[in-house]
Amino acid sequence: MPGFDHFIEALTPLNLAFALFGVMAGTVIGSIPGLTATMAVAVLVPLTFTLAPASALILLGAIYTGAIYGGAYSAILLNTPGTPSAIATTFDGYPMARKGDGDLAVTLACLASVCGGLVGALFLLTLAPPLSRFALAFGPVEYFWLAIFGLSLIAALSEGSLLKGIAGGALGLLLSTIGVAEVSADVRLTFGAQVMIGGIQVVAALIGLYCIPVLIDLVATPDRHLRVEAEARGFRLGEAWRTVLRNKVNLIRSSVIGTLVGVLPGAGGSVAGLVAYSEARRTARKGEEYGKGEPGGVLATESANNATVGGGFIPTLVLGIPGTPPDAVILGALLVQGVRTGPQLFEAQGAVVYTFIWGLFLATILMLPAGLLIGRYAYKTIVTIPKAMLVPAVAFMTVIGTYAIRNNSADVTIMVVLGAIGWALSRFGFGVSPIVLGLILGPIAEQGFVQAWTIGTAIGDVPSMFFGRPISLAIIAFTLLSLFWPFVKTRLGRWKEDPGVGMILAPTVERGPVDIASVVVGLILAGAGIVTLVDAAGYTDPDSAVFPRAVAIVLIVASLGAVARALFGIRNRSAPRSGSTVRRVALLLVMLAAALLLPWTGFLATMLVAFMAIILIAMHDPWTPRRAIIFPLAGILTVVAFTALFRYALYVPLPEARLF
Amino acid sequence: MKKSIWTGIALAVGLAAGMGTQAGAQDFPSKPVDYVIPFGPGGESDISARLQQPYFKKMFGQDLVISYKEGGGGAVGWSQLNAMSDDGYTIMGVNLPHIVIQPAQKDVGYTTDGLVPIYWFHYTPDAIVVRADSDFKTLDDLIGYAKENPGRLTFSGSGKGTANHLAQVNFDKLAGIKTTYVPFKGTGAAVQALLGNQVQAEWGYTTVGSQQGDQVRLLAVSMQERHPLFPDVPTFKELGFDQVGGAYRGIAVPEGVSEEKRKAWSDMIGKINADSDFKKQMLDGGFALIDVPYDEMDAWMQERKDAYLAAAKDAGIVK
Repeated sequence: MPGFDHFIEALTPLNLAFALFGVMAGTVIGSIPGLTATMAVAVLVPLTFTLAPASALILLGAIYTGAIYGGAYSAILLNTPGTPSAIATTFDGYPMARKGDGDLAVTLACLASVCGGLVGALFLLTLAPPLSRFALAFGPVEYFWLAIFGLSLIAALSEGSLLKGIAGGALGLLLSTIGVAEVSADVRLTFGAQVMIGGIQVVAALIGLYCIPVLIDLVATPDRHLRVEAEARGFRLGEAWRTVLRNKVNLIRSSVIGTLVGVLPGAGGSVAGLVAYSEARRTARKGEEYGKGEPGGVLATESANNATVGGGFIPTLVLGIPGTPPDAVILGALLVQGVRTGPQLFEAQGAVVYTFIWGLFLATILMLPAGLLIGRYAYKTIVTIPKAMLVPAVAFMTVIGTYAIRNNSADVTIMVVLGAIGWALSRFGFGVSPIVLGLILGPIAEQGFVQAWTIGTAIGDVPSMFFGRPISLAIIAFTLLSLFWPFVKTRLGRWKEDPGVGMILAPTVERGPVDIASVVVGLILAGAGIVTLVDAAGYTDPDSAVFPRAVAIVLIVASLGAVARALFGIRNRSAPRSGSTVRRVALLLVMLAAALLLPWTGFLATMLVAFMAIILIAMHDPWTPRRAIIFPLAGILTVVAFTALFRYALYVPLPEARLF
Repeated sequence: MKKSIWTGIALAVGLAAGMGTQAGAQDFPSKPVDYVIPFGPGGESDISARLQQPYFKKMFGQDLVISYKEGGGGAVGWSQLNAMSDDGYTIMGVNLPHIVIQPAQKDVGYTTDGLVPIYWFHYTPDAIVVRADSDFKTLDDLIGYAKENPGRLTFSGSGKGTANHLAQVNFDKLAGIKTTYVPFKGTGAAVQALLGNQVQAEWGYTTVGSQQGDQVRLLAVSMQERHPLFPDVPTFKELGFDQVGGAYRGIAVPEGVSEEKRKAWSDMIGKINADSDFKKQMLDGGFALIDVPYDEMDAWMQERKDAYLAAAKDAGIVK
């Protein structure tokens, strides 16, 4: 083992304390939607200026590791990724929680995160220089195809209607282009609205699209949020361990995928989780039902996203190019401290680097007990808290978390509006996950495409740029495989049951009356495509028009396809949603009003009123004197405590405005 | 009153670290200052602010509290600057050419002349960067190749309408060559493309040279005189091309801030810039210090505006 002598140096009581504190603080921060690993690290940077470089790095690395793991809690228990890295964790984690297996899912997430974290750190320790060369072999074309590969997951996620999935994905891609363009020179799709200049912030969109629909449906009925078994079952470690053993190949593969994607600057934990999930799903064995609460899905994403921590440090330390956004902050802190990263770092400052890597191992191992305990607590809180407190508390966290990402109240409004759109779309068979995939992968796809096209044109050979490079061809092959696999699999299954050509070609859906709702939604989406084409006609830079144009055409074609399908009465069964429409609408209106008012009336004043209003909306049980006192009191305490925490500890300038 | 209640609560929860009210040596600043960076954490603007932070505390006894208002390549922050508190305790980082190019393209919620920059403190000089193993040993090699192969020479760079892009447009004109500019998201990605052999050269900054060490070679830098960190790298001027500039960073205040406080800020930033330890730290990082104080602002801004807008018109990114 290289640098083993530095293992002892990492073991000082101070470093151990930093590692433990960092992991715990990071886990808590990461579990709050809106508080990302980047922010957790950025807030603590000034603290590290007075520390020795290695200790500072251990603290920052531990927080980063913890935050990536903590994102799993809200993904599993609330269907809301706490950080973008946990997007794919919602796919199976939330269904598990709904079935009453939330405690098992949280424990699995902890085991997987520790495993992924250790694999990533091991690669960082042993293979950093060669893996950094792998990162450099990844050019614009490879990034483009990687994004397309990620998008191919839409095929698996949109069970039933692929057309609706594609339309959703295209909508997400278009949403990602709003605002001042990142690499071309234009302002796109803002229609003159100032609030849209900054575009749609990904985390704000995640919170809106995933969490708001959950809240909307929670207030509608008096049912429990998650199913719980009567008897307490502890950590369910034995069961978790057997699941891990059954999934050992999945776990190792996902950890390696996570490390490799982490090595690629600009890809990050969200892409790693999606790629690992896609592979786990594609290689599923008989009886494993991905998307419906399959433990393997949680294991895949949670091991992959924690592996990106170690993987991301490889280009950061070896090349001086940050692998992930938190790495960029850590790199900045190192520069301020006078540590020069780059190829010479391992030789020139081996003591610092190896102490740090061993510290990362320690932090990851400490995450096992710390993570299990905090996870248990998070689970208990979410399942025992009465609905009339859970909904306002989560709604409050979505607002404060969304505001804190860019200190911008426009993001809160966008979050709530996207939530309403997401709820409506999913009601008509357009899932939100394809939209999210489009939003996350859009910038990677667009930049890769424009760059590859530009370079291809310069060397006079565009086709070989896109289809003539070995890594690209491999990614294209995997893309085709995962695109057509679900299709092939269903038909093969039917062939086995009843061989015959007719069964292969027969449609998988049933006919019914005309699906008017889908026709309307489809026409609206096609309209959005046309609006985009009109907007793109006004761009000064041709580079900024090519991608939105192509995507808009896909959106129009897919939406019209979905319209045609709906007109023929072909539909997929969607679960009917019962419950009170009045409460749903009231919740949305309160949240929207709060978002619009908070820059004028002040954050605390607005949120106190909104909290009380949402308690009323979410209250299904009869009011007793005890509840009438405790609920508002607990509400005030929550809002005041978190506002103080954000204002004074995290330096988030929450507006005070006219009131407070 | 409400402030003191809040401070009390914060202290009670034990969270008020570093936020106490220390009495300053002079009357301004007498409380912590909000330093808003219109970009995300970890970028060069953030790092510059982090480098200033300890010197500000040391010289003026108050904390410089850095926060981020990211979005739209800085436009979100700048469009909100003039609506922020104008008591002099809120300042924001400003960048060139961003604040000239963005409003020239579309309505982004602010205008160049509507902002009040009070000091420009440094810039990252443009530089042509190649891999250490590149065949281009000198700028002449590169120009020769570009002349024989019009349009074939590829440069990576950070974004479009940026310092990198405008430098490429300007240099193509001066040298009479035609090259291809490939925009990347940020300097890190542009360097990655260079090191990975995806492009033949990069329009980057001197800071790339200091961070990448002997993996790369600078062919020329856009400075009046050579950078002390790279004594062997010629300036474009020495080689006969009138090209000086880069990405400038400064500080702006909301338009309501009084003249006295604008001058006070200009003096404070100037004093940090003059500190010899600070200077050394900046030069080692590859930055180049400049001093454009408040009373020289108008003339200097006019000159930058003319230069940037001309190059942006040549590049076809403003009408």
